[in-house]
Amino acid sequence: MRCRLDSLSLIVCLHLLSIDGDDDKGERSQIGDTMTVAAGVGYVLIALGPALSLFASVIAKKPFLILTLLSSTLFWLISLIILAGAWRAFLPVKSTELWPYSILILTSVGFQEGIRIGFWRLFKKMEDMLNAFADRVSKPRLFLTDKMQLALAGGLGHGLAHAVFFCLSLLTPAFGPATFYVDKCPSIPFFLISAIIALGFVIIHTFSMVIAFNGYTEGKRKDQIFVPFAHLIAALITLINLVPGGCNIGLPLLCIMAGTTLYYSWQLVWRRLTEHQTTRSSD
Amino acid sequence: MDDRSADSDPVTAGESSILDTLGEDVIRIVSPVSLCMVLVVLLVSSLSSTNDLSSSISSLFLSSTTTPTSFSSLNLLLLGSDSTWEEIKSALVTALSFVVVVTLLTFLLVLLFYFRCTNFLRIYMGISSLFVLSFLGGFISLLLISHLKIPIDPFTFAILLFNLSVVGVFAVFMPKFPISMNQGYLVAIGVLTAYWFTMLPEWTTWALLIAMSLYDLAAVLLPIGPLRLLVELAMSRNEEIPALVYEARPVDPQPGDRVRVWRERTDVRIEATENSTNSANVQTVQETRLAVSEEITAPLIEAFPQTGDRHLGTEEEEDGIGLGSSGAIKLGLGDFIFYSVLVGRAAMYDYMTVYACYLAIMAGLGVTLLLLAVYRKALPALPVSIMLGVVFYLLTRVLLEVFVVQCSSNLLMF
Repeated sequence: MRCRLDSLSLIVCLHLLSIDGDDDKGERSQIGDTMTVAAGVGYVLIALGPALSLFASVIAKKPFLILTLLSSTLFWLISLIILAGAWRAFLPVKSTELWPYSILILTSVGFQEGIRIGFWRLFKKMEDMLNAFADRVSKPRLFLTDKMQLALAGGLGHGLAHAVFFCLSLLTPAFGPATFYVDKCPSIPFFLISAIIALGFVIIHTFSMVIAFNGYTEGKRKDQIFVPFAHLIAALITLINLVPGGCNIGLPLLCIMAGTTLYYSWQLVWRRLTEHQTTRSSD
Repeated sequence: MDDRSADSDPVTAGESSILDTLGEDVIRIVSPVSLCMVLVVLLVSSLSSTNDLSSSISSLFLSSTTTPTSFSSLNLLLLGSDSTWEEIKSALVTALSFVVVVTLLTFLLVLLFYFRCTNFLRIYMGISSLFVLSFLGGFISLLLISHLKIPIDPFTFAILLFNLSVVGVFAVFMPKFPISMNQGYLVAIGVLTAYWFTMLPEWTTWALLIAMSLYDLAAVLLPIGPLRLLVELAMSRNEEIPALVYEARPVDPQPGDRVRVWRERTDVRIEATENSTNSANVQTVQETRLAVSEEITAPLIEAFPQTGDRHLGTEEEEDGIGLGSSGAIKLGLGDFIFYSVLVGRAAMYDYMTVYACYLAIMAGLGVTLLLLAVYRKALPALPVSIMLGVVFYLLTRVLLEVFVVQCSSNLLMF
């Protein structure tokens, strides 16, 4: 079942696809049912696989990190709602030109990067409160690894929010029997593209939070500038998807961007930890 | 600099950081609430059809052989109209009548508690929970079986249902039951009741949620509010309130913590403790109402026996509201139910609203716990979360959905 592509008809179409799936479920065979649920679950795991493994290995062990994750997800959602409210009057954008969408992207990314600084201030306050609390219960103050874990949890919250709202919430028809292709990208199903983009952005959001917090704490301009740039470039790469056939270029570029962010964050954390180790052992 | 003062590496020093255990009690209340919501969303999305009228008709036909019809679906059939204004009017009437009945029954409960008819209340609650588990559980299982085409014969089904409901009544009723079964059955009762409530028509559900949160606010905070009277009675007598309350498994006390025991309106000194987060307590006595027929509503207040694993020691003054040496957060089952009703109703529209409402409810719960730590008295858990949930639902439906669909249908993401 193919659908035409503008926003409101897309909503109707997605609902129809899911209803179609439910009706057919009664007459179809068991194998057919499980195949489509498997496809849906597969898309979810593509988008959220690394996030889930990060969650299970690092965050689930410390309850405070789970709370940080939930609050940063909420934070990102609120920023998204504010953006949606600001842009509501101009939507739906009927034209297929590039410039309305690029303004959309620029304003959104700029707003979110601005919010990140606010998030960092909140983080500093929370760190102070935690240190004061640790003094009161006569426990050691926050270690460097603790702070990095907090940054990781915050970033993962942002990435999770992105994946949930941009990918998972539209994934309901994927659990039915049909699939969906976007006009501009006829070679890959829509769900797969959004899952891969969500994967890229999960990685970018998670690790750019680590880089950003380290950059603001240490005061290094290089790190501080890297994060907004990386975010902006990644978002602009998705603009390539507007061109017919562009997604074949856009997707690999986005994955390269995610890999770059990951590598940069790895180098930063490695350097920071070894520095900390040497200063401590030299005391 | 901050990180210079972070002296030793946890691995070499062998000490644990505060981050390891902080916030654990909050997580222990957040997990069952989330589990309840997830189960209700799964039930709703696998069992619901496209609109409310057909689902209430189908439940009507199905229920004509099993349970009595509900007031609202009968009302809807009688009115027969689909116009929005009619729906809103009937929704307001239903919600208002519900709140009035709940208020009257809560006052009746306070009266019975005042006259020390505790045994009567406990037995009545046991019967109510048996009713919920067997009838509602059976009804919903029948819906699931017919929808998923599970092959099962009536005798096995009857035996399983009987066993599970009886064990469930014991699990919430008897004091020495394992706490995980107690908690599991409380969550199950919450899921069943919440799913039942989502079968109401849409406007009625929203009106009911808002009305119940306003009622909760009034009943707990106003001096003449029935819940406040109940709480004060229980505190003055040092008895437990007979109510369905979920208590999180108590956290192990840290060495070096002093115990916090707080009570309101007496002159006992409140011992401050170092560990301010460990003893938050949400005492929200919530009753759930089950509309079983057009007229009769049965209060679903069950006795909550909780003496088992709290070492009281010298704190005999510890009552149903105060805390034992292991501070545990208590949340009434009605809160579980209404949170899940909100999320289930959001699931009937789209999954985006589900996620937004889930985050809003968690935020509301966090705010309530913070307020609890500040004010240190029994607080209503419904109003903040429900109001935030409704606001986020509206914002998502009106603003966010168009924006996100516009962006992702063009494969533009940021």
